[in-house]
Amino acid sequence: MRTLRTNVLVYLLLALGAIVSLFPFYWAAVSATNESGKVFAKPPILKPGAKLWDNISNLDKAIDIGRVVSNSLIVVTIYTALSLMICTMAGYAFAKFKFKGRDALFSAFLLSMMVPFHALVIPLFKMMAAWGWLNSYQALILPNLAYPFAIFLMRQNMQAVPDAMMEAGRIDGVGEWKLFTSIILPSVKPALAATAIFLFMYQWNSFLWPLIAASSKSMYTLPVALSSLFGLSRIDYGQVMAGVTIATGPIIVFFLLLQRHFISGVLGTAVKE
Amino acid sequence: MNKLSKGIGLLLATSVVLGACGNSNDNNAAPSSDSGSGAADENKVTLSAWAWNVNVGALNDAMELYKKDHPNVELKVEDMGRLDVYDKLSTGLAAGGQGLPDIVLVEDDRIQGYLDAFPKGFLNLSDKGFDGKDFPAFKQQLTSKDGSYYALPFDAGPTGLFYRRDIFDKAGVKAESIETWDDFIAAGKTIKEKTGAYLLPADKFKDDANFRMMLNELGVFYFDKDGNIDFNNPKAVQALDTLKKLGDADLVKDVNGWDGTVSATVDGSVATVPFGAWYYGTIIDQAKDTNGKWGVIQLPAFEKGGNRAANLGGSSWMIPSATKHPDEAFEFAKYFATTPEVQQMAMEKHGLFPSLLSTYSQPIFQSDVAFFGGQKIWKLFADEMKSIPTPYYTKDYAIAMDEAVKAQAHVFMGQSAKEALKSAADSLKSRTKRNVNNY
Repeated sequence: MRTLRTNVLVYLLLALGAIVSLFPFYWAAVSATNESGKVFAKPPILKPGAKLWDNISNLDKAIDIGRVVSNSLIVVTIYTALSLMICTMAGYAFAKFKFKGRDALFSAFLLSMMVPFHALVIPLFKMMAAWGWLNSYQALILPNLAYPFAIFLMRQNMQAVPDAMMEAGRIDGVGEWKLFTSIILPSVKPALAATAIFLFMYQWNSFLWPLIAASSKSMYTLPVALSSLFGLSRIDYGQVMAGVTIATGPIIVFFLLLQRHFISGVLGTAVKE
Repeated sequence: MNKLSKGIGLLLATSVVLGACGNSNDNNAAPSSDSGSGAADENKVTLSAWAWNVNVGALNDAMELYKKDHPNVELKVEDMGRLDVYDKLSTGLAAGGQGLPDIVLVEDDRIQGYLDAFPKGFLNLSDKGFDGKDFPAFKQQLTSKDGSYYALPFDAGPTGLFYRRDIFDKAGVKAESIETWDDFIAAGKTIKEKTGAYLLPADKFKDDANFRMMLNELGVFYFDKDGNIDFNNPKAVQALDTLKKLGDADLVKDVNGWDGTVSATVDGSVATVPFGAWYYGTIIDQAKDTNGKWGVIQLPAFEKGGNRAANLGGSSWMIPSATKHPDEAFEFAKYFATTPEVQQMAMEKHGLFPSLLSTYSQPIFQSDVAFFGGQKIWKLFADEMKSIPTPYYTKDYAIAMDEAVKAQAHVFMGQSAKEALKSAADSLKSRTKRNVNNY
């Protein structure tokens, strides 16, 4: 009885939390279906209107949403894949290999986390201009491929992998590459998923650098294009909300896709064989 | 076990494929983005421009007209956020002019800051023969430095008191009878009592737009024309004190940022909004249900018969010196700035109030505006333009505004205007090493 009552209480609390955190998304989606001025209505409008199509076609006229979304998807996919690979390997090396200057190098990486990106913008910009890479996908993707925080995250997780496991593999004659892909990687699956989500979100929401590096509209990513909707006095909020709703989609999908690995990882460690 | 490594392999494969198409896209896009390399056709020139929002449409419309006589010129406008333009412009200037467009829109309050920070960053337009005599005095001052022009004046924001006719009627207050800020406060008390509506919105702790309008109306600003800090000027004290009176009478609705101001405008919780002429666009866009219920009068004066003209906002076109087409860029920007048809179109289609004086004889400035109960609001704003005093922004404008907003916040929380401005002046002095005027 008592457990039932606590369960009910816990679920009620969780449901409340869910509603509170989901409401802004719901409101944004509803606002995307109403005309601009309705955003300011009091009390807030909670029923979908009939303007969704108008808002989306206005949005498309303003920022070419198809192009912008595909730019974002191209950049974020390549970035997440490459960066995950680089950061995982770097984290593995930092955790499991002993080489000269390893700790100094790792500290240097960690310290670079403390340099604000704004300080790097102008040198990076000059670099890209010198290589003729302004307004290109590589300019958007390359900086920060070796993302210090992701390397740190992977290193911490790699350290938890027992050395004995690697030794056993080596004794059995497994090559280094195979050791990495079939023994190390599967055992840090949850960390891989977490890092992937982190990198994906970082790049998907990235604003300042794409703004500086992309000089023509055809190279804008979603956040840069959405920001261009904000003029001084005339803002079409219906259009903005439609854009915002579209922008949230991929993150949710990506998270749901990887969530499985997340959870299976947690359960995996819970059971002792 | 293998699934994941396969997955990663797949991701990598996709990334290679996508990377390949990324590259090919890039190769296609490169020539069009670099206006300088279009050397295939000697005479064809593609100008690039950065602007935000409705200004983009105005620029493109102007090019359509311009092309009739200049078929060799093309224009490519990048539409970006207002603040984003400055991020990119500053980066490009700091990198020695790399990646900059041929023409860029800059707000008037930022022009002097850019000229101070990057003295060689922009074309001297006086050298090209531009003289600015077709524009009101304050606009001339804002676009020039040491006697030379560096920007082609575009729009302006003559201020007005946008008010709700229905709320005024309900309270039995006549807008036309408001001449001074004291009249305004008295009217506000009646309105609050009879209708419950606040008199005006203000972002008490983050923005000082009302204060700046009042300063400009009084012919003073954060700085005097020599760049000295002028917060202690009795007129500045008078302006902030007037805001304090409004606050003390509980007539100010505290709103959060721009969206908060718009929200108060739409839901009728305030009876007036003092702002630049460009707020017309916001009202007709966001408050469609209030069609016909609006009116405009000039800002109240500080004494009977005193000046009621002020300006808030406005922007101008600058040409980075890194441009590869200085002559073509100048000719087009000058055409845009000094052609009445272009300015009228920018106003009719995009709500951008022109500063080109000859535009005001166009018929639209005599027209009745239905949304504003048939009032000739454009005539009101146009008549105001010639009397607007010059505000002196300097390159420390942003820091000065920060201090002004703090002073305003203190005043709304009970400090006296004089004390608040005194400490603002002192703190601005230590932040900018400028002199303070004492009275």
